[in-house]
Amino acid sequence: MSGHFRPPTSAHVLRKIKQLSVPKADAIYMTNRNPRNLEKLRIANKPMGYHLEKPGRSFWHKLEVNVSGRYVTAEVKHFQNGPIISASTSEWAIKKQLFKSKDTTAFINLARVLAARCQQSGITEMMCNIEAVPGGKLDKFLKTVEENGVALKEPPQYVNPKPWDAKREDKPWDVLEEDIKN
Amino acid sequence: MAFSSLLVKTQLPQSLRQSTPLILACRQGHTVRGKPVGVAKTLEQRLAEENKQDPELTARVNIGLPKLKQSRSELFKDRWAHIKAQRANTELEKKTRSQQLLIDLKQVDQDYGLTTRGFDLRVIADHYGIFEDLFGAAYFIPRVNLNIQYEADAETLVPVYNGNVIKPKEARNQPLVSFDGTTDPITGKPQKEDSYWTLVATNPDGHFNEGDKEYVHWFVSNIPNGDVQKGDVIVNYLPPFPPKGIGYQRFVFILYKQNKKLDFSSLKLAEADYANLDKRTFKTYDFYRQYQDEITPAGLAFYQTDYDKSLTKFYHDVLNLKEPIFEYDFPEPYLADQKFFPLRQAFNLYMDRHRDIKQVNKEYLEQKLAKTHPFNGPEPELRYPNAHPIKNKPSWLRTEIRKQRLRMGRINDYVN
Repeated sequence: MSGHFRPPTSAHVLRKIKQLSVPKADAIYMTNRNPRNLEKLRIANKPMGYHLEKPGRSFWHKLEVNVSGRYVTAEVKHFQNGPIISASTSEWAIKKQLFKSKDTTAFINLARVLAARCQQSGITEMMCNIEAVPGGKLDKFLKTVEENGVALKEPPQYVNPKPWDAKREDKPWDVLEEDIKN
Repeated sequence: MAFSSLLVKTQLPQSLRQSTPLILACRQGHTVRGKPVGVAKTLEQRLAEENKQDPELTARVNIGLPKLKQSRSELFKDRWAHIKAQRANTELEKKTRSQQLLIDLKQVDQDYGLTTRGFDLRVIADHYGIFEDLFGAAYFIPRVNLNIQYEADAETLVPVYNGNVIKPKEARNQPLVSFDGTTDPITGKPQKEDSYWTLVATNPDGHFNEGDKEYVHWFVSNIPNGDVQKGDVIVNYLPPFPPKGIGYQRFVFILYKQNKKLDFSSLKLAEADYANLDKRTFKTYDFYRQYQDEITPAGLAFYQTDYDKSLTKFYHDVLNLKEPIFEYDFPEPYLADQKFFPLRQAFNLYMDRHRDIKQVNKEYLEQKLAKTHPFNGPEPELRYPNAHPIKNKPSWLRTEIRKQRLRMGRINDYVN
């Protein structure tokens, strides 16, 4: 018998954890370098925030709206890369066709432009924790964004089930679009 | 020695002597480990320290074309006149006040392309890691708008923007490409002499053997004045073929502006090698390094593509390959070292975690085979699985059988 139990040191635990993610010798590997791939497949790491914190930190992409004195700016932020898509009524391309740059019409049209840009960038799901007054400008903005094909809710992260877990969730990449349509 | 017992030891004789009651305030089984909050670094700080990059080594270089700025006064004179006219337009005001005004998105896109789109495109391309994987530390601001469209079928045109998803079925045919090749991207004025361009389409995520290389899908050089039809085709168009399970691959079009007519015949792919993936191996970094004095990147467009069922035929007929299927390699779950006397653990579950997985597989397979009739197949599932009593079995086995009937736990890995 090996005497009494000795708790493992953190170095030992770290070594074990590192060993787990080493590629197997006999397997054929292919690497997808696309940094957005794992987010699209829902297996990328999503920050969880902290237990006692105000919720709102857990996202891959987030929609933010800033209203300044004269203009409105809407941007999509990534949790690591910061703002990546933006549209503002101060932009000449949008301002050119508007009568006023901060009224309800401006909000609605800004939402249409932002949704189109999100579609063009392939980012159509994002978290949004804006609390809008029902029927207000912001509310109309958010509704227009959703009507134009951008979901304001992100799917949860897929966690690989351990062999002893009770349930097995469907793998997002095994479900083909063609199968759903039929 | 624990803090509380130390207190007891030091205070006990005193309290006995003075016959005063012993009052102890201690929190059993609760000790603060490590540095207190506020002194200890947060996870963010620790990660920032670990992923620190040398600013000298990662300094980025702009390899793109410059653009001469239009004089501000000139620009704003026109704009100001336009806005004044807009404010005087009563029709527009009526529409705006009644919230009926819907601006023309095509016009917005066009103006956006002429003003700030290049800068935003650079940001989103960085988000998709395009520059990092293709050019290393270099980047460029796309000055020329690329208009690329796939003919999905007779009526549908699928445009390529910056990261939108296009299925391989829609990208079967060579896309229609157009761009303004007659305007000088630096000055924004019409060019007097002929200009030549090169268009390269690569897939940086698709290489089967070498992770840091690309496959070149299309290469057209010496495109005179933006007319792609008249360019020299160096590599014929090969549609994207993302294998099953790999996820979304990027497919990147880069437009280079040539200083003069160039000869790329050394890169020419023979007609017979159309589907030869080894010969299509390409590295934009090396290509650009070789020709950097003659070509300058000027335009960028990319999309993402993932597996669909039309690829099975493509793999078999065009590439002459067995269709590959990949599976994401999750790291194994972490297990603490096995203890000699594990406390508060169900013995069967604990042992199953630490047993050789082959042994577990064998047992489940044997169990499955025992329930399968050689001719009639497996036993039908119980309609009311919890209604059948399990008698004369120990409780752990009863739980195990109940879990198997309800399809909970390990059994999920062995059915179907």
